[in-house]
Amino acid sequence: MSISSTGDGQRDPSVVRTGGAKAGAGRPGGKAGAGRPGGGRSGRGPKKPIKPVKIGSDRNWGPIALFSAVGLLAAGIVGFGVFAAVRDKAPEAADIKGLSNYRESQPKLVQSGDHRIGPIKYDIIPPVAGPHNARWQNCVGEVFDAPISNEHVVHSLEHGAVWITYRPNLPRDQVDQLAGKVRNRDRMILSPYPNLDAPISLQAWGYQLKVDSAGDGRINDFIKAFRKTAAVENVPCSEGVTTTGTVPVDLPAGAPAG
Amino acid sequence: MTADPADTSRRAGWGGWRGTPALALMLVLGLLVGAAGGWLAPRLALPGENSAEAGFARDMDNHHAQAIEMALIAFRETRDAEVRSHAVDMAMAQLTEVGTMQTWLRQWGLSPTSTDAPMSWLPAAERHLTGDGQMPGMASRQELARLRAAQGRDLDVLFLQLMIRHHLGGIHMIDGVLARTSNAEVRKAAGTMRTVQDAEVGNLTRVLTRLGGAPLPAS
Repeated sequence: MSISSTGDGQRDPSVVRTGGAKAGAGRPGGKAGAGRPGGGRSGRGPKKPIKPVKIGSDRNWGPIALFSAVGLLAAGIVGFGVFAAVRDKAPEAADIKGLSNYRESQPKLVQSGDHRIGPIKYDIIPPVAGPHNARWQNCVGEVFDAPISNEHVVHSLEHGAVWITYRPNLPRDQVDQLAGKVRNRDRMILSPYPNLDAPISLQAWGYQLKVDSAGDGRINDFIKAFRKTAAVENVPCSEGVTTTGTVPVDLPAGAPAG
Repeated sequence: MTADPADTSRRAGWGGWRGTPALALMLVLGLLVGAAGGWLAPRLALPGENSAEAGFARDMDNHHAQAIEMALIAFRETRDAEVRSHAVDMAMAQLTEVGTMQTWLRQWGLSPTSTDAPMSWLPAAERHLTGDGQMPGMASRQELARLRAAQGRDLDVLFLQLMIRHHLGGIHMIDGVLARTSNAEVRKAAGTMRTVQDAEVGNLTRVLTRLGGAPLPAS
C-alpha cells in the first residue's frame, strides 16, 4: 500500500484506500481501456466501474443491470413482507367453516349486556350472548363435570371466555381431550350440556361452532380466534360462581357482602 | 479531467434524452425499496408466532390468572391483615402485568392466546412441567378446591404455601425468557417481575413462619 501511494497518494488518498491503483497496475496489457495509467488514475477513482460500458457499445448495460437489481430487491422485500404477514396471521371468523356468526346476523343481540334476576329464556342454545346474571361463572380454565347455569356463563362470554359444551354421552377420551384445552387456561370453561343438538358446541360472545368430535381442527381455530378477543367487557374471570347447577344464583340485593 | 474518453461515453449513456426517464424511474424504485425496507424492518424485528417472547407472554398470562384467582380468594376470606394486604398487592400487580403482556401480543400482531401445550416455547418443555403436566408452580385442581373450602389459619397457611410455590415457578419461567430474548421491553418487564416475585417469596415466607407453617416441597 505504502509503495503505490508514493506515486499519486498525495493528490488522491482515496486511491490508496480502495486499492484501485494496484488493481489497475496489475493488468496493464489486459484491455485497451486499462491503458490510461496517467491521467485516469490521478483523481477519478469512482469512474472505474463504468469502464465496461465502452466495450458493449450498442447497449447501455449499466442502467439496465441497476434497474434489474433494484427491482429484484424491491420485489423480494415486498414479497417477504407479505409472506411474513400471512404466516403469522391468527385465524379469524371468516376462516372458520360452519361458524354461526351472530355478531353479523343479530347485531342487536350482541349489544345487550343487561343484568337480570332469575332464569332467562335464550333463543340460541347453548346461548352465545344477551342479558345475563350479575354474577359470572368462574372462567379461569374451569372444567365442570355437571351442567352450569346459562345465566352465569353468558356473563363469562361477555368477559371474553370461550365455553365448550358437550353431550353428556361424549366418550370419556374426547372429554379429556377437551379438558386439556381448558384446564388452567384463562378465559376457558368446559361443561356438559344435556340435549345438545351436536356432540360438541363452542361458544364465544356472538359466535358458535358445532362439531362432531374433539379432534376437529376448527376447535383450536375457534379458541385462537375468540378467546379474550371476543371480550366486550375486559374483566377477569376470577371471583365468579364456582359451583354447578342450572338455576342461577342471584346476589341478594341490598345485603351486606359476606 | 473533461478530456477523459470514459467521461464522454458516460454522458452519452446517462445524460441523453433516454436517460432522464430512466433516472426518474430508478429514483422511484429506490424510494420504493426504501419505503418497503422501512415498513418491513420493524416487523421482522418483532417477536413472531413461535417466539419465546410470545410463548412466555401467553403462558405467563395463564400463570398470573391463577395467582390472581388465589389472591382474590384470600383477599375475600382471610381475617389476617397482613395476608389481606399481600393478597390485594399481588392481585393488582399481576393484573397490571397481564395487561402489559396482552398489549405486547397485540402490538406484535399476534393472537393474545394459544392452544399450544404449556411451556412449549422452551426447549425440552416437558422438563419444566409439574407432575400433572402444568406450568411450574401451578396449584392443582384439588389444591384450589381445598383453598376455596379453607377458613381461618388453615386458609392463610395454604394460601401462603401455594403462592410461594407459584412465585418460584414463575421465576423459573422468567429466567427461561430472559435467557432467550434480547427484546428490551420484554427484558425490562420480566426483570421487574422477577425482582418483585423474588422479594415476595421472602415476605410471604416470613408471614408463613409467623403462622407456624412451612413451605411446600418444590413442584
